[in-house]
Amino acid sequence: MPLETDRKIPRFDFGERAAHWMAAISFLYAALTGLALWSHKLYWLAFVFGGGATVRGWHPWGGVVFALALGVMFSRWARQMRLDADDRTWLRLSHRYMVHDESGLPEAGRFNAGQKMLFWMQSALALLLFASGLVLWWPEIMPRALRLLAIVVHPAAALGAIGGIIVHIYMGTAAVPEAFRGMMQGWVRPGWALSHHPRWFKEISRH
Amino acid sequence: MQTVAKLIDTTLCIGCKACELACQEWNDQEFTLGVFQGTYQTMPDLAHNFWNLIKFNERETAGGMSWLMTKYQCMHCADPGCLRACPAPGAIVQLRNGIVDFNHDHCIGCGYCITGCPFDVPRLSPATKKVYKCSLCSDRTAVGLSPACIKTCPTNCLTFGARDELLRKAESRAEQLRADGHAQAGVYNPQGVGGTNVLYVLKDATEPEAHGLPKDPTIPLSVALWKGPLKWLGTLTLVGGILGTFFHYVRFGPRTYEGQEK
Repeated sequence: MPLETDRKIPRFDFGERAAHWMAAISFLYAALTGLALWSHKLYWLAFVFGGGATVRGWHPWGGVVFALALGVMFSRWARQMRLDADDRTWLRLSHRYMVHDESGLPEAGRFNAGQKMLFWMQSALALLLFASGLVLWWPEIMPRALRLLAIVVHPAAALGAIGGIIVHIYMGTAAVPEAFRGMMQGWVRPGWALSHHPRWFKEISRH
Repeated sequence: MQTVAKLIDTTLCIGCKACELACQEWNDQEFTLGVFQGTYQTMPDLAHNFWNLIKFNERETAGGMSWLMTKYQCMHCADPGCLRACPAPGAIVQLRNGIVDFNHDHCIGCGYCITGCPFDVPRLSPATKKVYKCSLCSDRTAVGLSPACIKTCPTNCLTFGARDELLRKAESRAEQLRADGHAQAGVYNPQGVGGTNVLYVLKDATEPEAHGLPKDPTIPLSVALWKGPLKWLGTLTLVGGILGTFFHYVRFGPRTYEGQEK
């Protein structure tokens, strides 16, 4: 059966897109204001966002919004993000995916194994960021031992998360054309779905 | 410029607390009532508007008890943990004469200095959301006056001057005390923070904790990690991530599919 190339395949519903973009905007804000406080060389970013004291006051709230949005994403996707045997094979051969040689790679479902790993990595780091962030938010009432831990855990987890997001942004824009529209407008072309997420496309085509 | 210092000879302190009052007066601090704990100590601890506290520590000795009165305030470290931890450039400055001073125009109130300080000295004001501590009266010393606490001390327990000279004076006083039979007498000038510009003569220097002073204060490991290896690792992550993805695109390009929209 030939593909109806003009068809719009629903990829993400509005709830998923709203949660994703709330998380994205709040993450970007928290990351940029956080980087301002991470290094004196990046402190100029604090002035972009209203000055050091403003950044200190609002950065934690950016984190709270991010945590809430990520919580929605987590509840929507956690089940679909479980890794199966195919995913493990995919991860073992992921170096081939990176160079556009997909011989031997199992067919991806709605999310490929790389996306699943990003999801779990960002969720775990967000948990660390949230816990350590609460400690740093109110230093005057937190025990010293916790503050000493948080002062290094928070930037370490943040840098890991930012590294992951740099790759994620690249994948979602330049590296995989049309993926961005899937998250922005919510639909993809059948050819895209068959090429990138064949198992998912076959599943939804059966219904 | 010469490094200045404050010498506290605890053996000469009579616990009059005139230095506490002088500090409050000169720095124009309102006194907030604390808690009465059944001791002579004014407050349980330092506060954002109380920078100079005489700790009245009691210690049982073989012959009875000794009453250890110890002035407590910012130590003006040569390697200040507060300064290392501060994310706002210019909020904490180390003057050329060794004084570690807070510039409240630049302070953002994050409280990292509280965590970075191995002496637990800086305090956050709930009203201004900025952090305060002893400035060694940088506004007085800048014009050749001695700090308010020193100016007012009636027993010469406190002296102010060139650090080298005061260190020599402290050592000779400790020697004198040892000759008088206080075998453990010595100078408190902890090297873990590169030495301090507040020096103490203690009757028993082997046990500074008895005076309420930390035994071996150092820059906290996590602060050193954060400002050391993590800086490099983080820079590598950011620059590596951006350049890595960029050159991946240059080398391999986008992943396309058959029939892709033009």
